[in-house]
Amino acid sequence: MVCFLTPSLLIFLLYRMLPLAWNVVLSFQAWSPLHPPSWVGWDNYSEMLYDDDIVWQALWNTLIFMGSQAIGVVIALGIALLVNSDLKGASVYRVIVFLSYPLMTVAVAIIWRWMYNERGGLINFVLRRLGIIDKPIAFLDSFGWALPSTIVANTWQVLGFFMIVLLTGLQSVPPHLYEAARVDGAPAWARLFRITLPMIKPSLFLCAVIGILNSFAAFDLVYVMTNGGPGHATELLITYIYKEAFNQSRFDYAATLTVAQFALLLVLAWAAHRAAGGNAGALE
Amino acid sequence: MTRRACTLLVLRHALLVAVAIAMLTPFYWVLKTALTGENIYAYPPSLLPVHPHLYNFVDVWYLIPFPRYLMNSVIVSLLAVAGNLVLNSIAAYALTLPFRGRRAVLVLLLSCTLVPFQATIIPAYLITARLGLLNAYLGLALPLMSTIVCIFIFKAAFEAVPRSLIDAAQIDGLGELSILTRVLLPLSTPAIATNVVLAFIWSWNNFLWPLIITRDPNMQTLPLGLARFLSYMEDTTGALYAFVVMVLAPGLLVFLMAQSSFMRGLTAGATKG
Repeated sequence: MVCFLTPSLLIFLLYRMLPLAWNVVLSFQAWSPLHPPSWVGWDNYSEMLYDDDIVWQALWNTLIFMGSQAIGVVIALGIALLVNSDLKGASVYRVIVFLSYPLMTVAVAIIWRWMYNERGGLINFVLRRLGIIDKPIAFLDSFGWALPSTIVANTWQVLGFFMIVLLTGLQSVPPHLYEAARVDGAPAWARLFRITLPMIKPSLFLCAVIGILNSFAAFDLVYVMTNGGPGHATELLITYIYKEAFNQSRFDYAATLTVAQFALLLVLAWAAHRAAGGNAGALE
Repeated sequence: MTRRACTLLVLRHALLVAVAIAMLTPFYWVLKTALTGENIYAYPPSLLPVHPHLYNFVDVWYLIPFPRYLMNSVIVSLLAVAGNLVLNSIAAYALTLPFRGRRAVLVLLLSCTLVPFQATIIPAYLITARLGLLNAYLGLALPLMSTIVCIFIFKAAFEAVPRSLIDAAQIDGLGELSILTRVLLPLSTPAIATNVVLAFIWSWNNFLWPLIITRDPNMQTLPLGLARFLSYMEDTTGALYAFVVMVLAPGLLVFLMAQSSFMRGLTAGATKG
């Protein structure tokens, strides 16, 4: 009954494998909608490396975005530790924290645009009321604030997901380890760093991988909140690739950027795999 | 309970209530704005809706083709869900059987999970254009119609079914397809639920793919409608926030009704193959 596999394999071939190869081919071509493609060797790559400042800015922003996922994981770990165990109402808190994760990211971006708004936004209002600022800050139009502001929105959305992943890890820690530690008189911080964290390493690894993937895929949020602006202050690799391909019709150059981004993703995934002790390839 | 334990408990709840408020505030703020009848730019903004009424919600129906977007989203999501249920279950069934090249197929599938959708958009657009599926429901749904994570979810569920049941069905003369539909699938309802939830969420929320392949306003889905509305109106009208509420409310209700299977399903689909 091997033919049962055909439709699925066809879809993966068409939308995973073939695009991957085609990206590589495109990256060595000069492509335009009207002319047949011609080979240009490494031209696209040398443009990316030497003649394009935006790509470095986009790379840097993507790395910052990626690093910021760690903040989300730490907050999520705190919440997971609070709602773990037999706390009354824990499931209500869990649902509330998770609520934002399955939502349409475009809607989330509009919600946060409004939260940051200069006049109608809650954040400026509260900051002014508390006397922290005199004049409203145009968070999303400011070179300094725009990226951190999108990061806050992203953290808000994915926090619940990290929490659930970490909770699954926490619930697999055998309770007798804590009892033994208590008998030995180990303080709370030692229980956290010597028992909890090492025991939930697989969950932390999963969070790291998802964080990496998230920051490569955070197109919807950034596109709607700032469209990469102001200037290129919130430009991520993925928004830059989209703009080059579909606004500038530079499919060849965008494919080159995609190849570079994919290579970076593989390197980071491999590094995370090594950091987790090399046993993280065990899917399922 | 000792005094110390009691203080700790109160502290824990206080912290969690603070977290819950922080998580819920953005929802409230948008709902408040959607219900506000007056100028939404009045400063200072009031914490409660001023003269609350549903004017903005009615306005949405006049400002944009909401029913059309909704219908497009529903059709694409139904295609994706149907595709996932059928294609994933038959593929997973084939993977539970021994055949030549099974290992190679498994390795191929696992390596495909490493390719994020975002890394395929340019060739995927060119391929879809050659298939003549730009601005078409099938083109919107096709890349989402089978997902690797969901195949593995089905495979695990099928492998948990006792071998003796399948043998008995074969002795009774059931064909492969009947074994799948009459024996394996009825015993795998959690896997079916996970497949439905994941396929639905992924296609319902999908923005990048429809953005790339639909130019025709009549084929746009809800997320595109939201983005389009935003680019026309900027943040000038409360109707935008009414639109956001209308888009989010059904999903939130479904989530709250089936939250445990949702959370389980979404965690299972973590790596989103």
